Amino acid sequence: MQMKSRNSIHEASFRDPSGYMFYDGVVLRRAINPIYFPQYKKLKESGFFKTLIDKGLLISQEETSVSEEKIIITPERIPFITNPYEWSFEQFKHAALHTLKIQKYALSKGFILKDASAYNVTFHKGKPIFIDSLSFDFYEDDTPWRAYKQFITHFLGPLVLAKFHGTEVFKMLQTHIDGIPVKLIASLLPAKTKLSSTLYTNIHLLAKMESKHSEDYKAETKVAKLSKKSQNNILDSLFDYIKNLDLKESSEWGDYYSKTNYEDAAFITKKDFVSSWVNALKPEKLIDVGGNDGTFARTVLDKVAQVIVTDIDSNAVDFNYKQLQKNKETNMLPFVCDVLQPAPGIGFNNTERDSLIDRLATYAPDVTMALALIHHITLSGNVPFEKSAEFFAKFSKYLIIEFPTREDSWVESLLVRKREFINHFDFYNESNFEAGYLDYFELEKKEVITGTKRILYLLKRRDDVG
Amino acid sequence: MISLYFDPGLGAMIVQAVVAAAAGVLLFSKGVMYKVKSFFGLTKEQDDTYDSIDIEEQDTDANEEQK
Repeated sequence: MQMKSRNSIHEASFRDPSGYMFYDGVVLRRAINPIYFPQYKKLKESGFFKTLIDKGLLISQEETSVSEEKIIITPERIPFITNPYEWSFEQFKHAALHTLKIQKYALSKGFILKDASAYNVTFHKGKPIFIDSLSFDFYEDDTPWRAYKQFITHFLGPLVLAKFHGTEVFKMLQTHIDGIPVKLIASLLPAKTKLSSTLYTNIHLLAKMESKHSEDYKAETKVAKLSKKSQNNILDSLFDYIKNLDLKESSEWGDYYSKTNYEDAAFITKKDFVSSWVNALKPEKLIDVGGNDGTFARTVLDKVAQVIVTDIDSNAVDFNYKQLQKNKETNMLPFVCDVLQPAPGIGFNNTERDSLIDRLATYAPDVTMALALIHHITLSGNVPFEKSAEFFAKFSKYLIIEFPTREDSWVESLLVRKREFINHFDFYNESNFEAGYLDYFELEKKEVITGTKRILYLLKRRDDVG
Repeated sequence: MISLYFDPGLGAMIVQAVVAAAAGVLLFSKGVMYKVKSFFGLTKEQDDTYDSIDIEEQDTDANEEQK
């Protein structure tokens, strides 16, 4: 497991001298250094932490031990961390609003968020939650918000760019771990954004001021001032602006399941197989890869403690997120994932943010579902069966996988697109599929979905694999 | 001075005065527009599921008193 380094300090927490996260066995704890004791004590004793925790805004934490050298706290465990480049538009928006809300509350209590990194927020129990309890510091009268620029590069910039260019923009955060540079954001925005007072001041003017003062070596002697009222105006105005942000091509989720190539009866048959197989396995953790808006995962949602649904389509993830909020589902976690290009490990040493495969292997779902996915991996991605089997075997104990045969209309259309190379894909058939997958898995169950050209498999990872 | 690990950038600190001024004007005019619109019954409900920026504190205080 790469999440643990030799000294078991969590790889994502070295930047802040106030403290660090570490593994005590399998439990993740937070150590606070003496430099941060005054802040921590005030945050705790004033009831600030308690209010945020009671409101479900900050992850709950227990004080484990106190000494002169260190205070150790143990935060509630978050089973699976999603990163900003894996969020849908609505999720990204809510993480931004969440950060502003916490900063405004902090300011009213004499504190500030000293950093506004998007990595301080993740999704837990169906809601955004702030996870870095050392991000707070004392407010000094009339000082501007020092995390302001970080908020723009981590939140406002990516959101506004997504509005104009689509949510693919969020993937830029994989190459810019501390946010998209302001200058780059400004240059990518259409000229008309200069007419918006919010975008002009927060992005274009900021970019100008940045380059004007970037080589100002006497910076420390100059002090900028800002009243608390003014800072609240910035926060309120950003909150309003972001809350009303929509994607320009606000494509309503195109109801994928009305475009399926099979009858309602077959749809129900497939659902019945999936739910009876899943229920028999009694899983604690399930992941549906390429699970769309969560339709199939929802058939077992009341029987499984934790359900993760990924999809390549940010709109489908968005639709799932809206649904889970509406239904108040606390055990559903959707995020965006392209199986052909899963999120890599990024940051210093490539370990600050773990790769998707590492996170999934650590999470170790009991059941993985891959329905109506293999033909895309194999025929659109040109991934041989044994390679995709290897991928699933890295993190799945049981795998429920649907194989659409060559006669399936979608497979046919994918094959037709190969044109003169169509013969190169003759390997796409049932027996080669089984040969590839049975290298890594044992066959438990196999059923043809009546009324379709598809076969559903229940596979179990071989003991000598993984 | 409290030492902080994140460099806020002088430009970003200075610009906030202008940002705040613009935000103030915008918030004020939005407030006026809201009053005008609600007078004519033109206000619409937001469909975003995230609530407001402000934290209601009454209930936690009440909880503390009960304990």
